[in-house]
Amino acid sequence: MSYEVMVGNKAAATAVKLAKVQVASAFPITPQTTITQYLSEMYAEGSWDFDFVNVEGELSSQVVVQAASRVGARTFTCTSGPGLLYMHHPMQGTGSGRLPVVMAVVHRGYKGMQPDHSDLMSQQWTGWGHQYVEHAQEVLDSLLMAYKVAEDPRIRIPIAVGYDGYVLSYTAEPVEIPDQALVDSWLPPNKPIPSILPDEVDPSTFARGWGGGDPQMPWKIHHEAILKIEDVLKETMDSFEKTFGRRYGNGMIETYMMDDAECAIVAMGTIAGTCKAAVEKMQKEGKKVGLIKLRSFIPFPYNDFKEWAKKLDGFAIVDRSICPGKGGPAFGKIRDALYDMEERPKLLQFHAGLGGKEVRTHDFEMIGDKILNYVKGGKEDQITWV
Amino acid sequence: MSERITRPQIPMSEMTITPGSACQGCGAALAARLAFKALGPNVIRHGIPCCPDSVTKTPRAGSVFEGGGAMLTGTSRALKALGRTDVKAVAFFGDGGTYDIGFQGLSGAAERNENVFVITKDNEAYMNTGNQRSSATPKYSRTSTTPIGPKSRGKDTPKKNIPFIFAAHYVPYVATASVGYPEDLIAKVNYAKDIEGFKMLIIQAPCPVGWRFDPAKTIEIARSGVQTGVWPLMEIEHGETFKLNYKPKELKPVSEYLKPQARFRHMTDAEVSDVQEFTTNRWESLVKSDESGRIII
Repeated sequence: MSYEVMVGNKAAATAVKLAKVQVASAFPITPQTTITQYLSEMYAEGSWDFDFVNVEGELSSQVVVQAASRVGARTFTCTSGPGLLYMHHPMQGTGSGRLPVVMAVVHRGYKGMQPDHSDLMSQQWTGWGHQYVEHAQEVLDSLLMAYKVAEDPRIRIPIAVGYDGYVLSYTAEPVEIPDQALVDSWLPPNKPIPSILPDEVDPSTFARGWGGGDPQMPWKIHHEAILKIEDVLKETMDSFEKTFGRRYGNGMIETYMMDDAECAIVAMGTIAGTCKAAVEKMQKEGKKVGLIKLRSFIPFPYNDFKEWAKKLDGFAIVDRSICPGKGGPAFGKIRDALYDMEERPKLLQFHAGLGGKEVRTHDFEMIGDKILNYVKGGKEDQITWV
Repeated sequence: MSERITRPQIPMSEMTITPGSACQGCGAALAARLAFKALGPNVIRHGIPCCPDSVTKTPRAGSVFEGGGAMLTGTSRALKALGRTDVKAVAFFGDGGTYDIGFQGLSGAAERNENVFVITKDNEAYMNTGNQRSSATPKYSRTSTTPIGPKSRGKDTPKKNIPFIFAAHYVPYVATASVGYPEDLIAKVNYAKDIEGFKMLIIQAPCPVGWRFDPAKTIEIARSGVQTGVWPLMEIEHGETFKLNYKPKELKPVSEYLKPQARFRHMTDAEVSDVQEFTTNRWESLVKSDESGRIII
């Protein structure tokens, strides 16, 4: 174990090294760019058997890792905003192919280059697991856990780990680097299922083509496999803590100062860190509001929100992305999760940090005050643009 | 350069499973049958959307239409990572996946000199979707998106010179072949399959449905394409060394190739002369290249 002060992008590259990824491919795009440089340096050093393919566009980088994963290699790719939109088409095939690709998405919005979550949020239909993380240590740890979960024979689903550009990708923090030997024993090599090698392949797949069977069945199987990530992620978080001594809630959500809380602010990514500071301040002032950090957006932690809803009077849900004309995605999913409950907590919707707009601790204090007032019967707007 | 073989040297064993799903007289199905005979069993066949010409007794990888070059790259790099370089990453793509929507990724793979073998069955239009023009469609050809009318004489630009474009990536091997010359086709696959790096074989594959001719005449049409100089058989190594594989003393007139195909039926004598002039000029330049052994453009 060692410590190093590093930027978020180096933490991602360090995870690639620790996971002994065999084939990585990426195309540089701000604010992901330096990952491609770190990976190129690692390739040049040759400290492990690693191949990095400098492709001519993001679409190709997704297809390269898709094909390499199908053959059985452990793979990695990374991108940001427009690059993610460009690889949308092949992402479907990586999902449907049940290929355990791991991808870092360094968030960049569409309207300008600053971070928000609209890039990864726009990929909800591609059949991947989606996670949102807060700081550089969590980037490194989450990518390692993503391999463990994605390659689990019960899952075999690609996972995207999203973290905010600039504020995390280019900001240095102290990061604990786990021992290689420990990672090696915790994360065994990937085993392809099924094999595509000519001497191992199942000949019944030769004539695979159009038609046959229930066309809806692959969707059902895919959906059910993604739902299974919940249990495997929770299990993986336990084994990660046992091995490396760190954990991030139960993997699906991470709670902060929720013991005596009456209301929760729900936030994702780096602004959840800002919210932690606000919650500390508010609780010192006797305001009973805590933080629920939403880590896994797909699968969505329905069960965790139902459990917390029993104990809480209100949720203030902060979305750093918006589907124009439809609203905040996390708000919609949480309201969806609570519908079947007899007694439902009150909800307020907040749009914050879009287009990289800064979100400060006093913004979260305002959000906390609003939800506390609202649950006591005070009048508040249903939707607030922070 | 490939070494000539004779008909008895064509392998007897079949890699394609019959019956396939191709139309009668399909040139692409024949191209697949011949190419995979020469490749043998130790390949992963890569496909992107194209005509369902054949099913082969090989594992098969598929991806998005525009992703052919990257898919081959991923497979080849992973095979290397797993120590399985005995297995070959082979593509069997159409002209759309090579000349058009797949061009960027293939150009990238060629420039990186990936260890892959791209085989293209060139039927000169998007035949899978019903004969729409591609950039492989020759000038004056009538397709469903280049119909004949007062304002249109069919496609108004020549076929893209894809062998030379890929040769300009300085890759180890680029060649053309025709289903009308199976010995030449197999010799080229035999030669290319063991080359380390990027290799490409473009096989002209007549399509009776799109080109509109009697399905019994596929071979005749393919042979006349070569004999008239419309589809020259050639090999280019490292973007420099050049060889013409079929070099008659005199070319047959292009009308012999154009006439039996209804896609060219509307052509006037002047338009036929235009094609003749284009073909003759190009042929003369190819002969010069062949004589000097190096590409002269």
